[in-house]
Amino acid sequence: MGIVIEKRLTPSISWQVASILLALLASFIISALLLKSAGADLGKAGAALWDGAFGGWRATWKTLVKATPLMLTGVAAAVAFRARIWNIGAEGQLYAGAIFAYWVSLMVGSLPALFLVPLLFAAGAVGGSLYGGLAGYLRARFEVSEVLSTVMLNYIVLYFLSFMLTNPWRDPSSFFQQSPKVVDNSLLPNLMPGTKLHMGFLVALAVVVIVHLVMTRSSLGYEIRAVGLNEKAARFKGIDVKWVTMVVMLISGGIAGIAGVTEVFGVQGRLNPGISVGFGFIGIIIAVLALLNPVAIVFVAILIGGSINGGIKLQVATGVPSTLIDAIQAIILLFYLAAAVLARYKFRIVSNG
Amino acid sequence: MRPVLSVHEVTKKFHQVVANDRVSFDVMPGEIHCLLGENGAGKSTIAECIYGFHRPDGGTISVRSKELDLRSPSDAIRSGIGMVHQHFVLVPSMTVLENIVIGTEVATAILDMREAAERIAEICRRYNVEMDLNSRVSALTVGQQQWVEIVKALFLGAEILIMDEPTAVLTPQESRRLFAIFREMCESGMSIILISHKLDEVMQSDRVTVLRKGKKVGTVETRASSKSELTNMMVGREIDLGAPRPRGVIGSPMIELHGLCAQGDLGTPALNGMTLTVHRGEIVGIAGVAGNGQKELFETLTGVRKATDGRVVFDGKEVTNHSPRDIQKAGMGHIPDDRFSEGLVPDFDIQSNLILGAQREPAFSKMGFLRFDAIRQFARDSIEAFAIKAPSAQTACRTLSGGNAQKVIVAREFAQSTKAILANQPSRGLDIGVIEYMHGRLTDKRDENFAILIASEELDELRSLADRIVVIFKGQIVGEFRHDAVDLERIGLLMAGHTGEAAAKTSVGEA
Repeated sequence: MGIVIEKRLTPSISWQVASILLALLASFIISALLLKSAGADLGKAGAALWDGAFGGWRATWKTLVKATPLMLTGVAAAVAFRARIWNIGAEGQLYAGAIFAYWVSLMVGSLPALFLVPLLFAAGAVGGSLYGGLAGYLRARFEVSEVLSTVMLNYIVLYFLSFMLTNPWRDPSSFFQQSPKVVDNSLLPNLMPGTKLHMGFLVALAVVVIVHLVMTRSSLGYEIRAVGLNEKAARFKGIDVKWVTMVVMLISGGIAGIAGVTEVFGVQGRLNPGISVGFGFIGIIIAVLALLNPVAIVFVAILIGGSINGGIKLQVATGVPSTLIDAIQAIILLFYLAAAVLARYKFRIVSNG
Repeated sequence: MRPVLSVHEVTKKFHQVVANDRVSFDVMPGEIHCLLGENGAGKSTIAECIYGFHRPDGGTISVRSKELDLRSPSDAIRSGIGMVHQHFVLVPSMTVLENIVIGTEVATAILDMREAAERIAEICRRYNVEMDLNSRVSALTVGQQQWVEIVKALFLGAEILIMDEPTAVLTPQESRRLFAIFREMCESGMSIILISHKLDEVMQSDRVTVLRKGKKVGTVETRASSKSELTNMMVGREIDLGAPRPRGVIGSPMIELHGLCAQGDLGTPALNGMTLTVHRGEIVGIAGVAGNGQKELFETLTGVRKATDGRVVFDGKEVTNHSPRDIQKAGMGHIPDDRFSEGLVPDFDIQSNLILGAQREPAFSKMGFLRFDAIRQFARDSIEAFAIKAPSAQTACRTLSGGNAQKVIVAREFAQSTKAILANQPSRGLDIGVIEYMHGRLTDKRDENFAILIASEELDELRSLADRIVVIFKGQIVGEFRHDAVDLERIGLLMAGHTGEAAAKTSVGEA
C-alpha cells in the first residue's frame, strides 16, 4: 500500500471547495485552541465575535465602515498582483493620499462640499498614485525591486507624517500627535442617519466595479493580465512592460490613496498617524484570499472588517489580547493558501498487488 | 534467440488519457530497436515505463524472462536498463567525471574517484570516444554532452540503452558517428531502444515498432520495409515531406542585416557580425545546431534584443533597435521557438491569444475597451481557417497540444504581419500532418511576396522549403547554398564549425 500524489491536469471544482472547507475547519480548530489557551470561554468568545461583527444593524454598519478602506487596499493590491508587481506599499500610499488630500483641504477648504469632496477624493488618488508611481518608476527605470522600495517607502511617509504633525500641522490644543479637526464641508456625507456609514463606502464600491471592468474588458486590463501571466510573451508581442509597470503602480497607489481620504474625512475627521491600522497590509491578505477577483474582494473585505470589529468586542468580553485576532487571521490565511495548493493535486491509494 | 527485454500488454493512463494501450514488443540482444510514432503516440511514455519512471497500470516488463517490478529508475538501472533523455540532465558547472559518477555513490557508500575514472576511461577506449574527464560540462558541445550521458549509462552497467531522440541536436556527421558506435555496442551484446521520428535514422535500425495514438500498429524488420511504408503506418496515410515545392519569383530585398552583433542572455557574444539579405517572395532557411545564435538573431530582428553593432533594414527603412511594437507595425511577424513561454500566454484562452499584440488595434478595441464581438468572430474564423482543434475559442491555450498551440501563433502572426514572417524551429515537436500544413501555409505567404526566414535543425525541411539555405555557426553565416545546389554533406561540416575551405575540400575529396 502506498499513497501516490499526482498533479491534476484540470482542477476539480468539488475538490477545490472541499479543500477550502477543510482548511477553514482546521483553522477554526487551531484558533479555538489558541483562544482556549488564552483562557477564554469558547462559547462566549464566539458569541462576542459574532456580536461585534454582524450582531444587529449597528454592528453591521460599523463593519461596512471598517470594510471600506479594506476594499480599496484589497483592490489596490489585486491590480498590482495581477501584473505580478508586488506592491507591498498600499499602507504608505494610503498615507500619501491622506496627506495630500489633507493639504488640499487646507488650501481650498472654503469650497462648498459639492466641489470640495470630489476634489479631496481626486487629491487622495493623486497623492497615492505619485507615491506608488515612485516605486513603479524605480522598478521600470532601474530595476529596483518594488517589494523593497514599497516597504521602505511605507516608513518614509509615516515619518514624514510624524514630522508634519509634530510641528506645522499639529493641533496645538491636543496632547496627541494629530491635526486639528478638518473643516465641516470637507467631511464625507453620511449615508445612514445615526450610523457612521459614509459616502466612502459607495466610492469604494464604485472603484471595485470600475477596476473590474477595466481589468476584464479594456485593452489596458488585457495588457496588465498578459504581463502578469507571461511577461516574456507580452514583451515579444510588443507590450511595453515598463510602461505597464508604471501604469499599474500609478493605479494601485491611487486606489490605496483613496482609502486615506475615506479614513481622514469619513472616519477620523482629522489627520493622525492612526488613520490606518495596517489596512494596507490587510488589503494584501484580502486580495490573495479573494484570488485577486475585485468582486470577491468586497465580500472578503466585509468578512475581515467584521472580524476586526468582532475581535475588539471579543477582547472586551473575554479579556484575550486583540493581537490574538491577528494571529487567527494569519492562521486562516496560511491554511487557505495551503488549501489552494492542495487543490492542485490528487491523492490516490495504490496497492502493490 | 530469447529476447533480452519483453514488454507485454503494457497500459499506462494519465487521468482519462490512455497514453499506452496494451503495447507489446520484444528487444533482442544486439538489436537496435526503434520506437517510431508521432507526438503523443506514446513512445516516450512506454520508454519511461521501461525506465521505471512511470508505473504501468497494466501489463508486464521483463528482462531476460524475469518479470520486473520497477518502482524507480534506480530499479531499472539495477536491471541493466539505461536511458539518455532528450533533454540532458547534466550539471553544467561540474566536470565530466563528476557528472558521470554523481548519484552512483549512493549505491557503493564510498566513492573511489580514481577507480571510477579508470573504468570510465576504459569505456571510452572501447568505443573510441575521446573525452576529457576533467573539463567542465558547460564547455562541451551538445554532441559531447550526449556522449557524457551515454557513457554515464554504460558506467552504470546498462545493457539495454534507451535513447530518446538522440539526434535532434546533432549535425549529420555527428549522428552518423553515433550510429556507428551504436553498432559497435550492439556487436558487444548490448541492445538499443531508439526513440525517433526521423525516418533517415529509423532506417538504420534492425526492427521498428510503430505506435499510433497509444496503440501498437506493428513491428517490422527495417530491411523489409521502406520510409513510405513506415510513414504510412505512423500517420495512417501517405505523406512526403521531402518533396521539393514549387519555387517562387524572388524580388527586391526586404530584410537586410549588415554586420549585426548582439549578446546572448549571459552577456557573451551571440551574433558576431551577421550579414544576410532576405528578398520579397523568398524563403531563406538557416541551418545550424541549436545555440549558434538563431534565437538571438530572431530576437534582435524583432526588437526584443538589443543589437550592439550593425544594422537591420526592413523594407528600405532602418529599424535597428526599434521597439518590438514598431517592428510589428511595420509588418514583421515572428513565430518564436518556445511556443508556450514566448509565443503564447498559456493561461489566456485562444481568442485572447489570437489578439496578443493587436489589443489596441481599432479592429479589436474601441475607446480603450475590447470589442469582444469582433474578437470572438476573429477567433472563430482563425480556428476554422487553421483547423485548430479545440473545444471552443474560450479554451485555455495551456491545454492545447503543441501543434494546435503553434497554429494559434501562426494564425495570429499571419493576420498581423504584412511583409515578412520569421520562424524559429516552426515544426519542432509537431506531427507530420501539422508540419506539412505549416509548410503549405508558409509557401502561400511566400507566394504573396512575403520575405520568410526560417531556422530549423531539420535539414530535410529546409531543403524542401527554402529557396536558399545559409549555415549559421557561432553567430555568423558561414555558408550559403541555392536550393538547386544544396550539399547536405558540406552543410553538416559547416554546422560543426569546419571552415568553408575545409568543408569544400572534404566534399570534393568524398566526391
